[in-house]
Amino acid sequence: MILVWIIGLLLCGGILCWLTDTWKAGYAKWIALASVVADGLIISALLVHFVTGTGPQAVSPYPAPQVTTPSAEPHAASPHAATPWLIDYRNTWIPSFGISLRLSMDGLSLILLSLTIFLGLLAVLSSWKEISERTGFFYFNLLWTLAGIAGVFLATDLFLFYFFWEVMLVPMYLLILIWGDSNRRYAAYKFFLFTQAGGLLMLLAILALYFIHGRQSGTYTFDYFAILQSTLSPTAARWIMLGFLAAFAVKLPVVPLHNWLPDAHSEAPTAGSIVLAGLLLKTGAYGIIRFVLPFFPQASTAIAPWAMLAGVISIVYGALLAFAQTDLKRLIAYTSVSHMGFVLLGIFAMQETAMQGVVIQLIAHGISTGALFAIAGMIKERLHTRELARMGGLQTSMPAMGNLAMVFAMASLGLPLFGNFIAEFLILLGAFPQYATLVVIASTALVFSALYCLRMMMRVFFGPAAPPTITPPTASAQQDIDSREWIILGLLCVGIVLLGLYPQPVMDLAKETIQQLTLNFRI
Amino acid sequence: MNELQFQALLPFIVLAAASILVILSIAFGRSHTFIQVAGFGMMCLVVLAMWLVRDALPREIAPLLVVDGLGALFTGLIIFSVLVIGLLSFIYFEEREENPKEYYILLFLATLGSAVLTISRHFISLFIGLELLSVSLYALIAYLRTRNNAVEAGMKYLMLAALSSAFLLFGMALIYLETGSMEFTGIARGLPSSGTPILFIMGMGFLLVAIGFKLALAPFHLWAADVYQGAPSPVTVFIATVSKTGVFAVLLRFAQAVHLQQYPAAMTIVVVISVASMIVGNLLALQQQNIKRLLAYSSIAHFGYLLVAFLPGDAAGAEAGFFYLLAYSITLLSAFGVITLLSTRQEDAGDLSGYRGLFWRDPVMGAVLAVALLSLAGIPLTAGFLGKFLVLGAGIGRQLWVPVIVLVLTSVIGLYFYLRVISTLFEKMPPAPARARPLHPFFYYATYAVLILLMGLSFWLGTFPRPAIREIEALLNIRLL
Amino acid sequence: MDIILLQANTLTTGANQNSSFSYFPIGVQLLFALGFVGLVLGVTHLLGPKRKTAEKLQNFESGIEGVGNARHPMAIKYFLVAILFVLFDVEVIFFYPYAVNFRGLGWNGFVEVLLFVGFFLAGFIYIIKKGALTWED
Repeated sequence: MILVWIIGLLLCGGILCWLTDTWKAGYAKWIALASVVADGLIISALLVHFVTGTGPQAVSPYPAPQVTTPSAEPHAASPHAATPWLIDYRNTWIPSFGISLRLSMDGLSLILLSLTIFLGLLAVLSSWKEISERTGFFYFNLLWTLAGIAGVFLATDLFLFYFFWEVMLVPMYLLILIWGDSNRRYAAYKFFLFTQAGGLLMLLAILALYFIHGRQSGTYTFDYFAILQSTLSPTAARWIMLGFLAAFAVKLPVVPLHNWLPDAHSEAPTAGSIVLAGLLLKTGAYGIIRFVLPFFPQASTAIAPWAMLAGVISIVYGALLAFAQTDLKRLIAYTSVSHMGFVLLGIFAMQETAMQGVVIQLIAHGISTGALFAIAGMIKERLHTRELARMGGLQTSMPAMGNLAMVFAMASLGLPLFGNFIAEFLILLGAFPQYATLVVIASTALVFSALYCLRMMMRVFFGPAAPPTITPPTASAQQDIDSREWIILGLLCVGIVLLGLYPQPVMDLAKETIQQLTLNFRI
Repeated sequence: MNELQFQALLPFIVLAAASILVILSIAFGRSHTFIQVAGFGMMCLVVLAMWLVRDALPREIAPLLVVDGLGALFTGLIIFSVLVIGLLSFIYFEEREENPKEYYILLFLATLGSAVLTISRHFISLFIGLELLSVSLYALIAYLRTRNNAVEAGMKYLMLAALSSAFLLFGMALIYLETGSMEFTGIARGLPSSGTPILFIMGMGFLLVAIGFKLALAPFHLWAADVYQGAPSPVTVFIATVSKTGVFAVLLRFAQAVHLQQYPAAMTIVVVISVASMIVGNLLALQQQNIKRLLAYSSIAHFGYLLVAFLPGDAAGAEAGFFYLLAYSITLLSAFGVITLLSTRQEDAGDLSGYRGLFWRDPVMGAVLAVALLSLAGIPLTAGFLGKFLVLGAGIGRQLWVPVIVLVLTSVIGLYFYLRVISTLFEKMPPAPARARPLHPFFYYATYAVLILLMGLSFWLGTFPRPAIREIEALLNIRLL
Repeated sequence: MDIILLQANTLTTGANQNSSFSYFPIGVQLLFALGFVGLVLGVTHLLGPKRKTAEKLQNFESGIEGVGNARHPMAIKYFLVAILFVLFDVEVIFFYPYAVNFRGLGWNGFVEVLLFVGFFLAGFIYIIKKGALTWED
């Protein structure tokens, strides 16, 4: 029931924001903040509960293995491992079609859910001043997007999953369309059409699974756990998997399908960019981990080399394009493509270490990229531009922001001390034994990432200031970050450093799920 | 006719009586408001009669009619739509140049025609129902006869409907030739048990041409855009929902009676028509600048989707088909409700540029229209999504991969133009001059309330369809063998 | 209630026969009819003498000379009266089959015909009240 509350709070908060705004402007943001904070409290209670002792983790019969040493782990998991699921909620919805309202949470869901609420909080805070018109409707859309994302991370009924998958689209579309930049219409269309096309193919795949399972077992149901039991013919598995992958690859995004991402990210308002990069992309990765691998172990083993190749291409291509951008937000968007390539690489390595790396990468990327987008938003608020050519020398006028940006740039390029380093290291380590060539190529791309991050810092904060004819030095352009922005960036900073120094709790939480998953691939 | 038969036919009798009542009240010089209220009262009586029908199901009135679950369900949908259309009509016609009273006679007659279609089990009653519907529609479409577009639309509909009636009769004649019967069950009995009955398939082809005209399926869709644009908005939505509901119901009943699914040749025709409609409708809608034309092309595509539910010919298909029609009707009623409210005395609010920033000018109407368009696009939370989902399910259940995949791909195309309208609604624009105070506040706000109700209904069907689906299943199971 | 439909049931026996052959006589008749028409038209065209004069190309109006253009606007009243005449004339036609079956249909039939007449009466009242039949404006 608590899972329903988490989603319900966001939905109700959104509606409340919209309604109150019509008669009293200015309340909306407080309501939005309150509902996100309330959700945050619930989640932190859950986190505390499951991380420190009282949860199933403590009663789990397996000692925490040395995750970084792959040789130790074959003994760690056995087919009788305790179920990774922590909370399960179930209610009927449309019984005649076997559709139920089933939400379940395991370690992976909990981690991603915490990320959702964390970034959601920061998204609300970062649009505190930026959004001055139609605030009620803005927060309505923001909260509903968050609710959709939370639902995606929790749903274990395929129909419900698709439902949430689509629910997060429309508000996001509106966020870009209404509060976006000059080219918002085009970006919003592109975003919606790409994701919806993928989504519909996934719907076809879901329905096909539903009927195949129904024919086999006699009970027609969309339940995740029931469908997990059905066996598929290799051809059917391949086609259905491609249907799922189409949706997830668009969201992730994998290179040939990444086209929507730079436009959507750069045109969206700051909160939209944070949610897009920090959360929406994660739903793609989550979908692959949760659905594609367990449903189609053979088919995904067969496609793994290609998927990893696509991942490496994404890494290199994203990094190269990021280097060539002249628009700050587009630059950050392309770094996302590159980072998510690592995720794809790690997932299809089908190996526990790499998978742990993937989970950490999801969080680390969410935080670091979210932070970079927040900074880009703050700069845009001051200078009213995203063009790199019109920035420069900002370090003198806003040293605090410059220093913080430096932190996140370093995190993004994968320096030790930050979460991204752990993640990329684990992924490369896990994938290396089988796919050495790909890993070598991916590692060279890390050099590019250093290049683009440093180029960004140099152009924006260091280097010569743009001549005043291009960027007139106004009072607002000189301001360093205020206390609200300090809170946002400070929280993110703490998060990324904590993850870099002590990732163990995250690994513990995700361990059961990952072990269950990788069990399928041990031959 | 015994008492139960009478009870089963009561809604239809009341509908017929309503038109007579309107004729007489016009003759005795009653006002538009009186006729509107009397008409509404009669519609309430029809709804009450529908309640009585429930207990009399299923009932056969040999040889022409059969009132069973399917008929009751579709008639219910028709009557629901007409209730809303009647309300929309008041505001619309009160402010127009033409005397609005005769409109209601035609409206009731057309409704009766469409309702008769849903319960007919004989070619004769089918034809009578169809003609009653079409003849009333000729006049309804051209009702605002001083407008050029209206007359053009009326003429186009007249010509093509007459042509399609000819096709229909010829098809019926061929089928009669093959089977020696005009009753649907008699036709099924008269069909040879083996081999392909060539005359029957040919007749079926002609029949499908005629039905394709009525449902505006490609390649018989040529009239749709002009008629939708030229007709008064309440009539447009009548054509889009009520008339098509009746025709689809009779198609469904006929196909079920003769087991059309056994004949691959006939099914190939349906598949081709369905695929063509989905592609043509969605592609042609892309460039439209007039929302009525856009909805016309989108309705072509939607009936292509609906045929995918018709293809399997099983219970799931019928259920999906009805649910889809229900969702579609609710959606179109609310969309055209907004169009009607926005229309001015001079012309209908067709041009898309008039909708710029509607969401900010009038949040309720903007939201209603946006939700309607999202429902048409099949986005979750709305009824349209569940309809599309059921249709897809019915198609995949029978492994109809070609139409299903075309459905998915074309609905992505469709998404583009729905989004185009939605983004227009949300565009920023300087505040427009305030609208003049509504002429008839009561009816204006009643319409407003109904629109909100329809939006709520769409959400309700999209999120908690369980009671509706249970009811539909139960009613569809009540039938005579 | 018996609704008498003009529906033959002779073909129910005919349908069982070899269908392609049973249409043969119809085909022959069709060919014969077309051939006859074509023949007569062709033969008269070839054999008949041709004299073209201006008078022969004019409309034949029983010896009265045509005046002016036939397509000039007429008062709508003529059309109204004409169409209403047709309408009520058709109503009367429906009485003939009823009169033939008067006894057979009994009271049920009587009530139905009464309803039928009632509907038309309502229409008639409407027409009169609307002033469709008042000749002078």
